Amino acid sequence: MATIPLMEVDNTWDDPRKRAPLVTGNHDYKSVTDLVADVAERPHPPMAWYALFAVSLGLLGFLGFCIGYLLLTGVGVWGVNQPVAWGFAIINFVFWVGIGHAGTLISAILFLFRQNWRTAINRFAEAMTIFAVVCAGMFPGIHIGRVWLAYWLFPIPNQMAMWPQFRSPLLWDVFAVGTYFTVSLLFWYVGLIPDIATFRDRATNKIKQGIYGFFALGWNGSTRHWHRYERAYLILAALSTPLVLSVHSVVSFDFAVSQLPGWHTTILPPYFVAGAIFSGFGMVLTLAIPARELFGLKEIITLRHLDNMNKIILATGTMVGYAYSMEFFIAWYSGVEVERFTFISRAMGPYAAAYWTMFICNAFVPQIFWFKWARTNIPLMFVVSLLVNLGMWFERYVIVVTSLSSDFLMSSWWPYRATWVDYGMLIGSFGLFFTLFLLFCRFLPIVAIAEVKAVMPRPHSLGHGHGHSHGHGAAHRAEAH
Amino acid sequence: MSIAASPFSKPYDDSHGGSASRSHARATALAGLMVEFDNPDALHDAAKAVRNAGYTKWDVHTPFPVHGLEKSMGIRPTILPSIILIGGLTGCLTGLFLTHYTNGIELLRNAIVPTNLSGYPYPISGKPTFSTPAYIPVVFELTVLFSALTAVFGMLAMNGLPTFWNPLLRQPRFRAVTNDRFFLVVEARDPKFDANSTATMLRGLGGGEPERVEAPVESAEPPRWLISAGILATCFALIPLVVIAKARNAKMREPRIHIVQDMDNQERYKGQMPNPAFADGRAMRPEVDGTVARGDIRDTRADVHFTEGLVDGDWAANFPAKITINADLLERGQNRFNIYCSACHGLDGRGNGPVNARNMDGRPGWETWVQPTSMHDQSVRDRAHGHIFNTITNGIRTMPPYGASLAIEDRWAIVAYVRALQQSSAASLSDVPENIRKELEAR
Amino acid sequence: MAHAAPAIDISRENRRFDDIAPGLAGRVWTLGVGAFVVALLMALIPTFTGKQTDFSAGASAFFRSYVLAFAYACSLGLGALFFTMIQHLTRAGWSVVVRRFAETIAGQLPLLALLGLPLLIPIILGMEGVYEWSSAAAVKNDASGLLQKKAPYLNATFFIGRMVFYFAVWGWLGSFYLNKSVEQDLTGDHELSVKMGGVAGPGVLLYALTVTFFAVDLLMSLTPHWYSTIFGVYYFAGCMVSTHATLIVMMVLLQRSGRLTNVLTQEHYQDVGKFMFAFTVFWAYIGFSQYMLIWYANLPEETYWYAARQSTPYWLVVSLTLLFGHFVLPFLALISKHAKRSPNFIFLGACWMLLMHFVDMHYVVSPDTHGYQQYLLAKDAGKAAAGAGSYMAHGATALLTDIPMTIGMLAVLASAVIRELGRNSLIPERDPRLSESLAFENI
Repeated sequence: MATIPLMEVDNTWDDPRKRAPLVTGNHDYKSVTDLVADVAERPHPPMAWYALFAVSLGLLGFLGFCIGYLLLTGVGVWGVNQPVAWGFAIINFVFWVGIGHAGTLISAILFLFRQNWRTAINRFAEAMTIFAVVCAGMFPGIHIGRVWLAYWLFPIPNQMAMWPQFRSPLLWDVFAVGTYFTVSLLFWYVGLIPDIATFRDRATNKIKQGIYGFFALGWNGSTRHWHRYERAYLILAALSTPLVLSVHSVVSFDFAVSQLPGWHTTILPPYFVAGAIFSGFGMVLTLAIPARELFGLKEIITLRHLDNMNKIILATGTMVGYAYSMEFFIAWYSGVEVERFTFISRAMGPYAAAYWTMFICNAFVPQIFWFKWARTNIPLMFVVSLLVNLGMWFERYVIVVTSLSSDFLMSSWWPYRATWVDYGMLIGSFGLFFTLFLLFCRFLPIVAIAEVKAVMPRPHSLGHGHGHSHGHGAAHRAEAH
Repeated sequence: MSIAASPFSKPYDDSHGGSASRSHARATALAGLMVEFDNPDALHDAAKAVRNAGYTKWDVHTPFPVHGLEKSMGIRPTILPSIILIGGLTGCLTGLFLTHYTNGIELLRNAIVPTNLSGYPYPISGKPTFSTPAYIPVVFELTVLFSALTAVFGMLAMNGLPTFWNPLLRQPRFRAVTNDRFFLVVEARDPKFDANSTATMLRGLGGGEPERVEAPVESAEPPRWLISAGILATCFALIPLVVIAKARNAKMREPRIHIVQDMDNQERYKGQMPNPAFADGRAMRPEVDGTVARGDIRDTRADVHFTEGLVDGDWAANFPAKITINADLLERGQNRFNIYCSACHGLDGRGNGPVNARNMDGRPGWETWVQPTSMHDQSVRDRAHGHIFNTITNGIRTMPPYGASLAIEDRWAIVAYVRALQQSSAASLSDVPENIRKELEAR
Repeated sequence: MAHAAPAIDISRENRRFDDIAPGLAGRVWTLGVGAFVVALLMALIPTFTGKQTDFSAGASAFFRSYVLAFAYACSLGLGALFFTMIQHLTRAGWSVVVRRFAETIAGQLPLLALLGLPLLIPIILGMEGVYEWSSAAAVKNDASGLLQKKAPYLNATFFIGRMVFYFAVWGWLGSFYLNKSVEQDLTGDHELSVKMGGVAGPGVLLYALTVTFFAVDLLMSLTPHWYSTIFGVYYFAGCMVSTHATLIVMMVLLQRSGRLTNVLTQEHYQDVGKFMFAFTVFWAYIGFSQYMLIWYANLPEETYWYAARQSTPYWLVVSLTLLFGHFVLPFLALISKHAKRSPNFIFLGACWMLLMHFVDMHYVVSPDTHGYQQYLLAKDAGKAAAGAGSYMAHGATALLTDIPMTIGMLAVLASAVIRELGRNSLIPERDPRLSESLAFENI
C-alpha cells in the first residue's frame, strides 16, 4: 500500500519540453501492484460499494420482472405501434452499443496512436464495453417478439431449407454485434491474463489461487511469451479499430438504408461512430470519477487522464454537432419537401423538447471543455458526463421517434408514448450494467497493472548507465530523467 | 511461505537429493537454475551473455514486456501475423460463400445436397440475386472475427498455454515475477546445462545468487479422481447426443411437445360445429338478409353454361364452348384435384384421402364421420358435367364450396379430370389404342 | 533498445535544400510557372481545334478540367494544413522531422487562392457546362424547380464570397504555421510551440467547416441537383491520402538527393506509411458508406449520380479502377510492416496513390452527369440515338484536358514548395520535441 496520502497532483501542463508523468506520487512497480490489487484484496469494499450493489441488484431484478411480463404477455405491453414500431427497445439498444464503443476505442485506437495514458483507464473501459454490449444485445433479442425463435437469426441448416436474409440490416447487426462482443471479450481477456497471474501469485487462499490460477492459464511472464503476446495484442488492436467503426456504422445502416427522411442520409455512419465514442467517453468519465475516489486510484488515473478524456469528449461532441448541422444544411440544400419538413419538425414539432435536450447536451455543453479550468474541475466534468449520457439517449430517441411518428401519410401520424414497462426496462438495464460492473471492480484488476508498469519510469536502483525509459514507444522517453 | 529450503548449501549436481531438505517426501529433480534481478535494464546484458554462451533452453521472465529484450535474447520474429492473415482470408471467403450461396444458389431441385444445406434465392426490395454491396458488412465482420480468433488462440497455442504444471510456478520466490522482480532461468534440459558451470556463469550476470528450480520426479500426471471425473463428464455430455440420435431414428405416434403455442391451436369455432351462442345453434352463419357474399352475384345475362353449368335450367351434359378438352386441361385438372380434392377424396378419387384415413379411427368427437363419396360410384358417374361443376362450386352435404378458391376454368378442368379418373377404373379393351391392344392381348 | 538510437547530430546533416545544390530552388520556380503555361495551352488546344462542336462546349470542358486540377492541388494544401494542425493539437513527437514539409505545402495556400481565380470566368459568364446553377437561363428552365430553390445558396456572389472566406482562413492558418515554425528555427522559443498548439484547436474546427463547404461548393455543386451529407468527408479522406503520399514522395526524393539521410529513418517511413494506409481504408469506408446507402435505398434523385458513372464502359472501368486501385490493391500491398519500412516500396505505393487520387478526382469531376440526364430524357422520349453518341464518348475525351491541366497545376505547386523549402531548414531545427522524433522507434 502506498503510505503517502493520495493527492490530486496537477500534471496537465503544456510545456512542450517535458512530457508529463502518467503516474503521480512516488511509486515503484511494487506499490502500483499493491495499489491496484488492494481494491480486490481488501476484506471489505467501501460501504458505497454495498449500497450501489444493492440498488443495482434491485434494478436487475426489476428488469427480470419486466422481461418475464413481456414474454408472457407479448410486445403489446410496450408503447410501440404502427407507425412507431421501433420504440425504447431499439433506442436503448443503440444507446448501449454506443457506450460500448469507448472501451475498444481506448484499447485499440489509442494503443495504435501510442497514447500511453490509455493504460490507466483501458481495463475498466473494456469491461464497461462488454457489459454495455450485454445490455445492448438483450434489447433486439426481446424486440423480435417471439424470443424462442431467435435462433432464426443465425445461419443454421434446418429442415425448412430457410436461411437468414443477408440483405437485411438486422442480419448485419447480428454479425456486427456478435463479432464485436466476441472480439471485445477476447481483447479484454488477453489483456487480463498477466494481471490475473498477478492476483494468482498474491492469492492467500487455495480457492482464490485455484480460480485465478485457472484463468491465468499458467502465465509466467516468459519473454518468449510476451513477444508473441504483444504481437497478438497489436494485431487485435489493429483489427478492433475498423471493427469499432464498422459496428456503429452497421447500426446506422439499420436506419440509413431505409428511405425515411431523417434516417436516409449518407453521413449517418461516421456520425453514429462519433456519437458512440462521445457517449462511451461520457460513460467512462461517469464511472472513472467515482472509482478513483472510492478505490484510491488518483495517482494512476490522474488529472491528466481526465483532462485528455475531456478533450476527446470535446472533439467528438463537436463532430456530433457538425453532423447535426450538416443534416440540417443538406435537408435544406436537397430541396426535397419531406426532408425539409422532417428536420423542421424535429426542431419545432411535438418532440422539440427531446431535440433541444439532445442538441444542448451533446453539441453545446461539451464546448465548456475549451477551457482548461473546466477540463480539470472534477465536479463539473462529472456533471457534464452525466449530461452527455442523457443527451446521447435523447439523440437516439429523436432519431427513432420523430422520423417514424410523422409518416409519409399524414393520416397515419401517431404520437409515441412509452409505457411503464418501457421505462422499467431502460432503468433495469442500468441495473444489469452496474451489477456486472461492480462485480468486476470487486474481483478483477481494474487497472492494467502490467501496462502501467511499462509506461512508468525505470527504478533508479541500478545506476544510470541505461537510464532511458523504454516504455511503450518513444512518446514518453523524456520523462525518465 | 518460507524460502528456507534454499538449496545452495549443497552441490548443484545432485539430481535426486532435493527431496531430503523438503518437508514432504515427494522426490524432486533439478529442473533448472534461476537468477533474480530487480531492474529490467540489467537484463539486456545478462540475456546477451547467456545467449553468447550458447544456451538454447532458457528464458527471461518479467512482470511486463521489456522492449528490446527479445532482440537481446535473439528471439526471431514470430510467424503469428502470417497465420492471422490466413485466418482473416478464411473468414473473408467464408463470408463471401455463406452470403452468396445461402441467399443466391439453390441446389435443391437437383438434389445435389440435402435439403437443409441447400441455398435459397429469395430477393427482396428489387435487389439482385447476388447483392454483394449488401453482403459486405457480413463479410467484413467474419473476416475480423476469424482473424481475432486466430490471433488469440494462435498466440496461446504457440506459447503452449494453458500449462498449469510448470515447476517455476512452484517456486515461492518466482511469485514476484508478476509483481516487481525479473528472473533469468536456464533449464536443465538444455544440452549445455551443467549445474555447476551454469551456476557460475549465472552468478556473473549481475543479478542475485542462482537458485535451484525443482520439479517432482514422477511425471505430472493428473490425479486419479480427475481422470474419473473426466470420464464421467464425457459420458454425461454424450447423453443429449444419444437422445437426439434416438429421436431422429424413431417414429413418433404422438404429436411433438408444443411448448410455445404460436397461435397454432386456437380456441375457435370451426365449420359444422355447434355454437350455443346462436339461437339456431350453428357456428356457421347464414348470409344476412339482403347481402350477397363475394362471388355470389349471378349475372343471368352471362354464359350460365360456363359460369354455373346450366343449360336451359338443367345441368349441362357437355362442356361449355369456352373449354377445350386437351392434355393441358387434364393436366391442370389433375394438378388442382390433387391439391384441393385429394385430401378427402384421395389421389385415386375413391374417397380415402388422408383426412378420411385420420378420421375413421373413431377418435372422440369424430364418430359421426362419413366417408367422402367415391368418384367411381355409379351415382357420380351418372351425374351430368354441370352437376359436378355445381358441386365443386357450391359444395354438397359436408363438403365445403370451392367456388371462392378455384377459378371457373379450373373447376371445369377438375370435372374433366374426374371424368378421366372414372374412365380409368372402368375401361374396356376397346378403349385401348389399336397398336397397344395387341401387346396387351399377347399377355 | 536498451541502447536506444544515439541522438543524431543534426549539425552534420544536409538539412537545407541548398546544401547540395545552391540556388537550385529559386530557379525551379521559373520552370514550374513555365510548365503551368504550357499545360494551359495544351489543355486549350482541344477547345479550339478538337472535336468539340462549338466553342462554349470546348470552353466548358477546359474549365471542368481546371476545376479538377484545382481540386487536386487544393487537396494537397488542405491535407498538409490538417496534418500540421493535428500534430500540434496532439502534441505529437514522432512527426517533427516531417512536419516542415507539410508546413511548406500548407504555406502555399495563398498561391492556390490565386490559382483559383480563373474559375471566376465560367461562374461570371454563367457557363452551363461547368456550374449549371451559374447560368440564369438554366436555373429558370429547370423543370424540377430545384435550382430555383437552391438559388439563395448557389449563386455567383455568395459562391465567390464563400471562396474568399475559405481561402482567407486557410491562407492565414497556412502562413501562421509556416512563419511561426521558421521563427522557432531562429529563436528556439518553446512558447511558440504552445502558441501553435493553442491555435490548432479552433483551427481544426474552422477547418472542418470550411473544407466541408468547399467540397460542396467546388465539387458537389457541379451536379447541383444531387446531394450527399457525407460528401465533405469523402473529399477530406482523399486529401489525407494524397497528402501522406506526398510526404513520402518528398522524404524519398530528398534522401535520394543526399539530404536528411540520417534524420529520416525507416521508423518515420513506417509511421507516415501507416497513416497513408489508414486513410486509404478510411476513404474506402466513407466511399462505401455513401455508395451502399444510395444503392440500397435506390431513390432516383440520388442514384443517377452513380448511374452516370456506371452506365458507360469507360466510366465503369474508372469506377472499378477506383475500387481496386484506390483500395483493394494498396490495402493488400501495404498491410505488411515490411512494405511500409522499405523506402523504395513505399515510394512506389505513394506514387500510385497520387495517381489514384487523380482517378478519384476524375471520377468526381469529369463525368457528364448533365449529359447523362439529357440522354435519359431523350431515351424516355424514344430518341435514344440522339443523346447517346456524345455522352457515351465523353469520358476519354475529358482526359485530353484533364491530364495536362493537372500536371501543370501540380508543377506550379511543386515549384513553389521547392522554392519555399530552399529558404528554410528542411526540419524544424529547434522544436522542443525534435529529439523525441529523431530517436523515435515503432513498437
